[in-house]
Amino acid sequence: MKVTIGLEIHVQMSEAGSKLFCNCKANYRGLDVNTNVCPVCLGLPGALPVVSRRSVELALATALALKCEIPKFIVFTRKHYFYPDLPKNYQISMFERAGGVPICRNGVISFLDPSTWEWKTCRIRRINIEEDPGRTVYEEGGITGSPYALVDYNRSGVPLLEIVTEPDIRTPRDARLLVEHLLLMLEYLGVTNPRLEGVFRVDANISVNGGERVEVKNIGSTLDVEKALNYEILRQTKIREAGGLIERETRHWDAMRGVTRPLRHKEYEEEYLYFPDPDLPPIAITGEMLEKAMGMAAKADLRALLGELLKLNVPPEHAWSLLTTRPSLELFRKTVSLGGDPQLTARILAVDYKGELREQGKDPYDPSNWPPPETVLELVKLTISGVYTYDTIKGLVIPALASNPQARLETILPERASDIDVAVEEVLREEVKAVRDYLQGKTQALNYLVGRVIKKIGRKAVDPRVIREALEKRIKSAMGAGG
Amino acid sequence: MRRLKQAWELARDFREGVEDPVEHAYKVLEAISRWEGVVNAYISLESPDLVVEEAERVARGIRAGERVGKLAGLLVSVKDNICTSFLPTTAGSRMLDPYIPPFNATVVERLLGEDAIIIGKTNLDEFAMGSTTELSAFGPTRNPWDPERVPGGSSGGSAASLAYGGSDLSLGSDTGGSARLPAAYTATVGFKPTYGLVSRYGLIPYGNSLEQISPMARSVRDVALLLDVIGGWDPLDATSLRVDKPRTFTASKADPRRVTICIVKELAEGADEVIERAYWRILKRLESEGVELREEELPIASKALPAYYTIAFAEASSNLARYDGVFYPMKGGGSSWEEDVELARMKGFGREVKKRILMGVYALSEGYRDEYYVAATKIRRVLRDEVLRITRNCIIASQASPILPPRLGERLDDPLKLYAMDVYTVIANLAGVPALVQPIEFHNGLPIGIQWMGKPLGEEELVSLGLLVEELTGLAGVVVD
Ligand SMILES: [Zn+2]
Repeated sequence: MKVTIGLEIHVQMSEAGSKLFCNCKANYRGLDVNTNVCPVCLGLPGALPVVSRRSVELALATALALKCEIPKFIVFTRKHYFYPDLPKNYQISMFERAGGVPICRNGVISFLDPSTWEWKTCRIRRINIEEDPGRTVYEEGGITGSPYALVDYNRSGVPLLEIVTEPDIRTPRDARLLVEHLLLMLEYLGVTNPRLEGVFRVDANISVNGGERVEVKNIGSTLDVEKALNYEILRQTKIREAGGLIERETRHWDAMRGVTRPLRHKEYEEEYLYFPDPDLPPIAITGEMLEKAMGMAAKADLRALLGELLKLNVPPEHAWSLLTTRPSLELFRKTVSLGGDPQLTARILAVDYKGELREQGKDPYDPSNWPPPETVLELVKLTISGVYTYDTIKGLVIPALASNPQARLETILPERASDIDVAVEEVLREEVKAVRDYLQGKTQALNYLVGRVIKKIGRKAVDPRVIREALEKRIKSAMGAGG
Repeated sequence: MRRLKQAWELARDFREGVEDPVEHAYKVLEAISRWEGVVNAYISLESPDLVVEEAERVARGIRAGERVGKLAGLLVSVKDNICTSFLPTTAGSRMLDPYIPPFNATVVERLLGEDAIIIGKTNLDEFAMGSTTELSAFGPTRNPWDPERVPGGSSGGSAASLAYGGSDLSLGSDTGGSARLPAAYTATVGFKPTYGLVSRYGLIPYGNSLEQISPMARSVRDVALLLDVIGGWDPLDATSLRVDKPRTFTASKADPRRVTICIVKELAEGADEVIERAYWRILKRLESEGVELREEELPIASKALPAYYTIAFAEASSNLARYDGVFYPMKGGGSSWEEDVELARMKGFGREVKKRILMGVYALSEGYRDEYYVAATKIRRVLRDEVLRITRNCIIASQASPILPPRLGERLDDPLKLYAMDVYTVIANLAGVPALVQPIEFHNGLPIGIQWMGKPLGEEELVSLGLLVEELTGLAGVVVD
């Protein structure tokens, strides 16, 4: 079966600071409705858009990271359609014809399949910078049943990248991997935070065995990219097996039910009346801008970053885990630069610490959930010098550290065996009566002895069971020796 | 006809304590109450009490020896498509009646920064679409020189307020002649600056790539004063030029022996005979003073009007898409959102606006875009290059209007004739160059103007020439009796 998939990925530049054409915030989450607005993003007559430099820089860095042809200047166009959440009833975008010039044409993305360690490629057709519309909320009865709609314009004007691929993708899984890879790259570029709610959406074109192209709109997660496309392949295959024909159409992904559904047919051709926005003169892409963007793009070259880790003999699974959790990679680099052994550092961070965070339900993408590099370095040193076994570090230290990453290490380190032995010897010498009681069968005397040892050591992080075992062992050996 | 002190002289005399701003305010308010019933220059007026209070504040400041702004005590009227947060801004449309913007246009901020008193908002053709100020939702404005006639448009309210002494200075806007045509019809001065010299932030858009907010006044020195206040870079307008604030007020009268005027055949011919005669009379007069006259050609001028209207309508159809009954006063009251939009636009827009939207949509539609919109932008480029070539070495002398001010209703029936009123003025908008219209003569009590077109940022040269011409005509500061 021959499957051809092309994607159109809309990603908010949530880290751009401001909206695309005004000073309102790019990340509107957690704000009261209609408070992140101004005359510009409300499209009030007379208010004028001024392009945010940062958005252009980030888009340019993305275009370079995707090896695009960069134009000498970019031109915004207006795309007209009437919709309540579009306050001007046109969207400022970059249509590639009618005088518009997008920021990127003819790029390519390389993405990793982490189960085979194979790099795959897909051509990028173009990238547009455009503004997000507001958000329409339908109460009681949804889009068809609600007697009214509420519109929140906090999102209106948020900078978006529209990234369009060529139909080079062969499987739904590859489609998911591509999107995941792209989002990771955008995170490293500082363009977006892929984990924010609603920060990206995907429209997918799919054609099965040379059949008509079907567009699936409104896919909101990477897992759903794969699910929706698998569903489409199944649906289209069934229709063809039953002798039916696949029509060219646009369908909507219903994530709740896990099905695609036809959108109501439009009775007219789409007519967007594109033309260059006369309020926004062409923006020249200068050498200075390119240089800055190239620096940003270099920091987001995932293939190079992975290569760096492999060169340090970090196993690929650990390396990929570090890469996909950016705070852990940063921490890894700092620890190694302080002298930490790369392999052991990677194992601690990428496998056990990250696993422990998951176990405790903590967000591994939040840098504050990770300890300082000095702490990690200490763990590495203690393991290598044999003071502790890796099992102790993994079983006792990492869980404690994960629950309190800023804790001082000595407060959570278990007592070393040698320290306990010394204390046990001393207590046995001092507490002759208690030892005698114990030997005569008064088992609670052992508890007393454990308490004495703990007091002598004077630290909290001692496991009483360990001391109990040490005491029993020492008393038994003394008996065996004929004492 | 009588002559008033020029606004810059008045402001100077206020500062020097020779004239009283309060007394002056009463005089202007009196003129307004005498003329407004007939002329209808204003859509909304500031309350007289407030105007007097403001004038008193200025007077107190001056008496106390405080530093006051360049426009302190002057009463400035502002076209009603320029946003003010303290007076409604309707753009002459039912759609925006009454809309009070939550912000001031940059030019309004700059006026207030120089202690101007904004006396009211002037009438205009709806959304500045017209050449007569008859197409306002608030009724037509009449020409104070002959109330049976139109004052020109679309800044007819501004021009009329000046012509009867109902304001000292005025802000108009000029998309294709909207400040200059009214100037020609009312014996006032209209000055369209170089595109980008004055911020458009807060100007309700009609044809964004063409229009500029434009100073209007009763003398050349006065428009220069106003231009210096409102001009200069504005970070809120991406099309605004990063240049220093203009300094045209201090320009001196041109030395005629150092002026070259180009007579562009296509812009000199085609007007009614009385107008052509007046045009040649002033040019011969200038020649006798030592000005060099040269002939030039601009064959593409014949295509300027269709190119202009195609571009303006295309931009307008886009700009006016936002009026859908959601944010703005005119509500559709339909049973669905789609119906709401339809009804709001049906009730809110006048005929001419609807016509222009439809034509603009047509020009941008798939399959027609190349033939109309794109073709128009190509003509525009060629024309601009030609105009830049000519103005590099001389100032173009052009007619301002092919006819004397028409009677109300006279030309409205024939849209092609109506549009042709703009034939001489659209060139400056297409090319983005500055252009100044000033009065040169009266014919049977009706004013005739002339237009000067310069090179980009050549405002000072135009002011210098304007001062020379004004001296020859003696028509600075004229108002109706
Ligand atoms: Zn905003």
